[in-house]
Amino acid sequence: MIEMKRTVFAIACLGLLWSAAPGWAHHSFAAEFDENKPVKLHGVVTKMEWINPHSWIHMDVKGDDGKVVNWSIECGSPNTLFRRGLNKDSLPVGTEINVDGYLAKDGENKANGRDVTLGDGRKLFLGANPDADK
Amino acid sequence: MMVRFLGIVLLGLLPAFGQNWTAPRTSDGHPSFEGIWTNKTITPMERPKDLGDKAFFTPEEAKAYTQAARERNNKDQRGGGVRDVLYAYNDFWWDSGTKLLSNMRTSIIVDPPDGRIPPLTAHRLAQLQEQAEAIKIRCKQPGCAIANSGQLSPSDKPEELDLMTRCISFGTVVPMMPSAYNNDYQIVQGPGMVAIDTEMVHDVRRIPTDGSPHLPPSVREWIGDPRGHWEGETLVVDSTNFKGETRVRGGDENLHLIERFTRTGPDTLLYQFTVDDPTAFTKPWSGEIPMTKTEGPVYEYACHEGNIGMKDIIAAAKADEKKAAEQAAGKK
Amino acid sequence: MTKHVFEAALLGLSCAMFAAGQVPTSKISRTPGGTPDLSGIWQALNTANWDLQAHGAEPGPDSHVGAIGAVAPGPGVVEGGEIPYLPAAAAQRKQNHKDRWSADPEIKCYMPGVPRATYMPYPFQIVQGLETIMISYEFADAVRLVPMKNPGPAPADSWMGWSIGHWDGDTLVIDVTSQNDQTWFDRAGDFHSDALHVVERYTPVDANILMYEATIEDSKVFSRPWKISMPLYRHIEKNAQLMEFKCIPFSEDVLYGNAGQREGSK
Repeated sequence: MIEMKRTVFAIACLGLLWSAAPGWAHHSFAAEFDENKPVKLHGVVTKMEWINPHSWIHMDVKGDDGKVVNWSIECGSPNTLFRRGLNKDSLPVGTEINVDGYLAKDGENKANGRDVTLGDGRKLFLGANPDADK
Repeated sequence: MMVRFLGIVLLGLLPAFGQNWTAPRTSDGHPSFEGIWTNKTITPMERPKDLGDKAFFTPEEAKAYTQAARERNNKDQRGGGVRDVLYAYNDFWWDSGTKLLSNMRTSIIVDPPDGRIPPLTAHRLAQLQEQAEAIKIRCKQPGCAIANSGQLSPSDKPEELDLMTRCISFGTVVPMMPSAYNNDYQIVQGPGMVAIDTEMVHDVRRIPTDGSPHLPPSVREWIGDPRGHWEGETLVVDSTNFKGETRVRGGDENLHLIERFTRTGPDTLLYQFTVDDPTAFTKPWSGEIPMTKTEGPVYEYACHEGNIGMKDIIAAAKADEKKAAEQAAGKK
Repeated sequence: MTKHVFEAALLGLSCAMFAAGQVPTSKISRTPGGTPDLSGIWQALNTANWDLQAHGAEPGPDSHVGAIGAVAPGPGVVEGGEIPYLPAAAAQRKQNHKDRWSADPEIKCYMPGVPRATYMPYPFQIVQGLETIMISYEFADAVRLVPMKNPGPAPADSWMGWSIGHWDGDTLVIDVTSQNDQTWFDRAGDFHSDALHVVERYTPVDANILMYEATIEDSKVFSRPWKISMPLYRHIEKNAQLMEFKCIPFSEDVLYGNAGQREGSK
């Protein structure tokens, strides 16, 4: 009994040592964004492009100087969201969002959407059913 | 000869069918694979070395592994540095699977018996090492960036970037392997023809079953040239004429891919493959994925049309080169 | 004896009918259920991809390759001759035509949309399944999956649109909506908006010929619906197959700014 438990525990632990899940399925974000330049943005959605290989959320961010700057946030493939019941109307213009990501290396107002939440901190796309395709 | 033997071995491993179920037929009387199928799974491609020859999980082990994998794969876990950037975005964008394959195996690879890809030939290893050395030297100069492999790689010209970044092909087509999301394939059959559309990146494999010959060896294609024939209920597909760039797990242009498709139930399709590439691998290797029917549809994945990221990568590399050149000029 | 006479008479009658042009040409392929089976490799044989409307020969974009890149003439495929642009759209078309050697999305190996994919100068393959028809295009490995049952609305626009098929007698009708506004109809600058609605009709007239019609509607660009039509011919040669035309590498110089700078650049 103890032997079996030990094997089970060993299997679980091995899981933690292995490299991540199958495949990346997109270009290296480390080649596009700078790990030494994290950014935190708060603003409102002006447009969302539901395109591949990456969707883009465009948002207006008010700086400390009061000036509004438009940022582009690179996110994942919209197909995954379509399969969960979402569509191009699921992120309305004017929605308040927070973005925690990394600055683009090419000097533009661009970041990856490493963690995107609604203005009040709740998960984005609350309506999505993660098991819709199971 | 070896490959035929492996084919027979794999047939032997087929699960027993329910006595009363036969696959529906196409309009020309062959077994139908029509529908949308997924291969997403947390079962790894290769068996972890520590599991040795242990080919199957017990139910308890499966439960523990599944829980650990789900926790490990959750991309909402933050760390720092390059790995955090590579994780790219929130977990809800990812869809690489939350279950083991129904065959309860510890790896997709079923042969060699250790469940791991066999070693490369000395010749192939030498070729790859030479390429790696050349990259190391090149990347002492600016214009390189960290690829998904974690290694520095040139990123200032399109032809230096990988096939995935360029949107030419992902590693999901030949053989049919799962990846981060959009793990969907649609099969449509007409008379003498089986067509497989892989969602990423809308690659279509048109497989004639009419006995026509392969293209001549001088013509090379990224996803190869497939030919199919029927062996009872199983479609056997033979693909050759690959480009060297396709490079399946370090393989080369001499890849000979053999695949077998067999319906095993109303919602299941057994997919088996053998990679036979004797100039690159010391042995052929084979894998097995019981695929499951999924609702679909397969959505359009227009990758090249929206490839803003690649523009950004090249722009970033060129900005680096410009900065370095200015600094060098300033020093003079 | 009577049998032979009868057969001879039948032969004589067939010959007469053949001479009169009344013997039917090869029969249309059908599924066991009786609907036409359009499976096979097809291609248009015209210059619609250069310009849907009637046009004479013209120089191409690069005089270094002379006659190779030149525009082939064609009598046009638009029923009625002219595409009915609204006045503002006509001005846009004129500008597109001026910019065509840089602005045509075909240059960038972008998927061509519908109906342009049908008359690109590359073959395409129809694979007719029981519930879905796949149309696989050689150009850019573009593909359409046409369900024969309504799948519900499109979640977003796409390059090849959202297709729904049904049979109208022997005609395959495909209704196409939700195309984005990024594609052109041809290399001459004919364009549309994201309000584009296309209805295609594929009618077999023979085992090896389909009659193709496409009705185009776009109230943001055209003053009324208009129609194109053309035959599509089956590739009947032995071992005909589509080959790989993943044209991305040919477009990368243009897209990523290295155009004309390959030799000697860093």
